[in-house]
Amino acid sequence: MTNTSATTYNFKVVLLGEGCVGKTSLLLRYIEDKFNDKHLTTLQATFLNKKLNINGKRINLSIWDTAGQEKFHALGPIYYRNSNGAILVYDITDEDSFGKVKNWVKELKKMLGSEIVLVIAGNKIDLEHERTVPLEEAESYAKMVGARHFYTSAKMNQGVEDLFLELTREMTEKLEQNAQNEVTRTSRVLVVDDEAPVQSSCCAGSKSN
Amino acid sequence: MISFILEMEGAYDEIISENPFFVELKNEYANLFQHCIAQSWIICVPRIGSLSTRVFTVEDFCAHILVPSDELPESHYSTLTEKQVTVANKVITLEVTKSLPLQSHILFEETFYTEDFIKYKVWCIEYPLEPTTNTGTHLITKEYLTSINDCIDLLWTQAAGRQVLDQIEQSVQLFLKNQPSLPIAIGPLRDSISELYTQCLQYALQNRRLREKSKVCKTVLENIKMAVECYMQQLLFESIFKPICTSCAYEDSHLNKKIRNMCDIQLKDLDIKKELFHAVPKAKQILSKIDTYSTVLEKVLCLKQALNTINKTDSSNNVVLLTADDLLPVFVFLVIKSGLPNWYSQLTYMKEFRFSGVGKGDADESAFLITTLEAVIEHIQSGALSGPPDPESYYYESDLTEDNLNERQRKNSFTESISTSDTNTRDETLEYIFELIKANHTEQVQAILLRNKRHLETIKEHESEILKVSLDKKYQFHNEDYDDNSDSDSDIYEKLCHPLCNCKKCCSKIFKNLLKTSPTVTSRDSHGLTPLHVACIHGKAAIVELLIEMEADIDATDLNECSPMHYAASRGHQNALLLLLHSGANINKTNVDKNTPLHLCVNNGHMNCVKALIYFSEHSRKKLMINATNENGNTPLHLASKWGYEGIARLLIENGAEPSIQNHNNKSSFDFAHNLKILQVLKSVTPNLYEYIHITSSDVTVLNSKPEKLFNTKFQKLKFKENNASKTVKNLKTIERIFKAISYGDVKLACFYMNIDYTNYKNNNSNTTLCHPLCACRSCKKNNESQTDFDVNFPDSNGFTALHYAAKYGLDELCNILILNNANVNCQNKRGQTPLHLAALNNKTVVIEILTNNGANINTIDLSGNTPLHNASEMGNIGASKVLLNKNPDITMLNGSEKSALSIAKEKVHLTIIDLIEKYANKS
Ligand SMILES: Nc1nc2c(ncn2[C@@H]2O[C@H](COP(=O)(O)OP(=O)(O)O)[C@@H](O)[C@H]2O)c(=O)[nH]1
Ligand SMILES: [Mg+2]
Repeated sequence: MTNTSATTYNFKVVLLGEGCVGKTSLLLRYIEDKFNDKHLTTLQATFLNKKLNINGKRINLSIWDTAGQEKFHALGPIYYRNSNGAILVYDITDEDSFGKVKNWVKELKKMLGSEIVLVIAGNKIDLEHERTVPLEEAESYAKMVGARHFYTSAKMNQGVEDLFLELTREMTEKLEQNAQNEVTRTSRVLVVDDEAPVQSSCCAGSKSN
Repeated sequence: MISFILEMEGAYDEIISENPFFVELKNEYANLFQHCIAQSWIICVPRIGSLSTRVFTVEDFCAHILVPSDELPESHYSTLTEKQVTVANKVITLEVTKSLPLQSHILFEETFYTEDFIKYKVWCIEYPLEPTTNTGTHLITKEYLTSINDCIDLLWTQAAGRQVLDQIEQSVQLFLKNQPSLPIAIGPLRDSISELYTQCLQYALQNRRLREKSKVCKTVLENIKMAVECYMQQLLFESIFKPICTSCAYEDSHLNKKIRNMCDIQLKDLDIKKELFHAVPKAKQILSKIDTYSTVLEKVLCLKQALNTINKTDSSNNVVLLTADDLLPVFVFLVIKSGLPNWYSQLTYMKEFRFSGVGKGDADESAFLITTLEAVIEHIQSGALSGPPDPESYYYESDLTEDNLNERQRKNSFTESISTSDTNTRDETLEYIFELIKANHTEQVQAILLRNKRHLETIKEHESEILKVSLDKKYQFHNEDYDDNSDSDSDIYEKLCHPLCNCKKCCSKIFKNLLKTSPTVTSRDSHGLTPLHVACIHGKAAIVELLIEMEADIDATDLNECSPMHYAASRGHQNALLLLLHSGANINKTNVDKNTPLHLCVNNGHMNCVKALIYFSEHSRKKLMINATNENGNTPLHLASKWGYEGIARLLIENGAEPSIQNHNNKSSFDFAHNLKILQVLKSVTPNLYEYIHITSSDVTVLNSKPEKLFNTKFQKLKFKENNASKTVKNLKTIERIFKAISYGDVKLACFYMNIDYTNYKNNNSNTTLCHPLCACRSCKKNNESQTDFDVNFPDSNGFTALHYAAKYGLDELCNILILNNANVNCQNKRGQTPLHLAALNNKTVVIEILTNNGANINTIDLSGNTPLHNASEMGNIGASKVLLNKNPDITMLNGSEKSALSIAKEKVHLTIIDLIEKYANKS
């Protein structure tokens, strides 16, 4: 067995966006491959895990859904702190929701800088005929802030997997870059390598064998 | 075997690509494997250790490859050995001829992507899908630790002996012995415990068996860490939780005050899905037990269980998906209703003392649950929860604007109300009055109530006349004709002589009918609330005063036997409370739960009302029952102690509250104290009565004879005292109290201590006179003198005067009052600072404005040579700098270190201030 296969990355991803843009639907589509379906194996869609193995790298995504109501907006920082990635969702038929994405981007950039990987998802493209957010505007905005932009439909299962895969790819890249740069590792993302010594001080004892 | 399904999501983990079964399939049966991938078939991999190591046959692999059926690809599969398999709720069921079906739990799913991005899924399963297979030795008896007993069990059985447990125990004992008093600050406490944890874990892994088992499987290692942490926490809990509560005492008491004041909140106020309602009581019951657990693991599981209760099924057994939008409000509701006094401490414990989870990153389910609790607490704390603001709000939900106010008034006119056939009219109009009160429309309330009162009098007049007439006519009327009180409005016209008749008898009938629909001060709604209750609920002091003047029953009780004073106290409306007290309301009235007003304001953390009750009783002969017990036998001090209101507890203790009184569960206030700060207050039970009772018995006699004389007597006394050295000491004490009051921001109290009549200043612009806590005399209304006999320039030992303090704390109102009472605006303390310096240092812009407008020297210097502008610039106080620069200061002045205000700003890099000063320099 090669050593690389033993590496597991733990990533925390938050879903942010106005209420009703389809955050929960995207999450359930990704994890359960279902839409508006009563028969789910999970009873809650607030926190879900997804294990991936991309080309030998084990990745554990912990995806945190958030409440979209405005009254909970102030709680954002509590949820997104220590996140490796954020998915900012808007509804292509709702201009306000795109404005909300811009606010989130501003806030995240201010609070977390480039620590966090951002992707923007324009959801409900099955409703293309009702689009109010201009295509070019959304894409050029995403480009400007350095975020990938995806068109998704939780309903028709379009673009959802690509969205999460690309985010995972970027988060992995960022992490490996950081590790290469010999940046002192935070406990935020811990690379658990069974052969390597444990980084976190309080678990140091566990590897004393 | 499936019983642990509810436990932590994703708790089991292993590296599939190292699982011998998977490795062999991939390497030895590459064709089969590739075919699987190409067809998107699912590969089941029995978890490591569930298969005895042996050579696998091709059948073994085929039995673990699932081909989705065409009709139901999500739930029905067949294996390559042609067996039928169904999947539901993460359990695989394999139909077996002859015997019971074989079941295996799906531990997790892993989605693989190959180099060329072909995707396939692997399910790690609990047991092999072959009835014939000999299942291997079970390395792990239980994957999921759910209680302290599981932890002990794991460390005991897996290590084959008690030695690991014993070692942990010894380490903990040694730790406690070496640190007889644990640090009260969270950081150091966490660090020292974290060290202890590392040490205990080392002991555990020195055990050969544990070490070997943890090498085989990652989950075992995780479980050992968790078990060590739990066992250690169990042993430590008693010793560390009090220090944690103590360092969180401030946050907890503030949170408690917020929660107490919204404990009437209803599910519907929080926009919670109706489908979730029925599960809430059960969830609440589970969650409120969180304080009975001593380990982080169990506390987190308690959170998890509470949520599981909610998200299972609705009342008709449909699965209800719990989303983030519901999770927060439900959780907010549960926390508010749980009745626990130390949520913040619970959160801190879970957040900071979870050592074993760190390896998984901050993103696992426990972290999610803890974060959710944190978000909930933050949400409650922030006050963003405006709702249900008033439990009574459903009585009068309409929104009242100036426009519809007039409209409604017209509708409310005499003819309207008499012609209406709506039997609810009475409630409606009373409801309207309540709305007016809430909106503080004093005049309208007065107008309506007065008009109705007049009508009432007219009716009485008419009645007596009719009675006379009827007696004269030897009683011609039938009794039932007369007794029409119970008749509904609709038949009123049938009872009249003729529809337009206005004979006295008919008029009386009409008026009586009107009375039913026209509220007076004595009217009540269906909950027994009078207008005075409502005015007190909303703290509308002017209306309270009006209603009292109109002879409202000040001790009227509603269905809960609450008097208006109960509401004023529980809502923290000091003014309303004082008005009631001064009008002779019963200070010790008990409601249905035997709570006095004091209980209620203590429970809700309203220090201002507690003070008002205590001071009022000191000044009048009304004795406040400081140790009154409610239905549960709790005294006000029990409540203050439970919710951690330190200031209130101290005040109660100082006024004779007895902490050793036991409630009906034999618990004293000591037992209710959950942190050391409160405990300390309770233990300081040597009430310094003379310090706090400002009025001697001779004063009381004076008070009883004629209220006006009280203050005069006191003035004289103070004057006398000044001649005498021991009196100076007393003055110093007074000064100390004054400063304390100022630091609380309690202007009224400060004025009282200085014998300044606060009400006079308050009412300079309006005619309505409000009583205040400390003014026992009604004559103060007439007293327009703004002089006091107390020397407001009396300094404390550091040379601070009241004006210094008022400036420091930014009490603009008090500054004005003091200046009117001849306070010296330029007096210096021992460091040469004037009040203006202190205002500049603390960025109190309004105070600066007041002081400079009243002759404060803008260029005054303290002993270090600093002008107020130096101070403002040093502190980076932009507002203060602006105001000061408007007053033409001399910016060339240098302080003792030869620095100008500008150079200080530059030194501190306060860019805005540099800018301001430079602009000013250019201008002049
Ligand atoms: N047409 C369409 N509707 C969608 C799509 N995604 C979500 N919705 C609908 O949008 C509504 C809100 O979705 P939800 O996932 O609850 O949004 P959230 O509040 O952001 O979590 C639901 O009625 C969904 O059925 C989509 O891709 N297409
Ligand atoms: Mg949602």
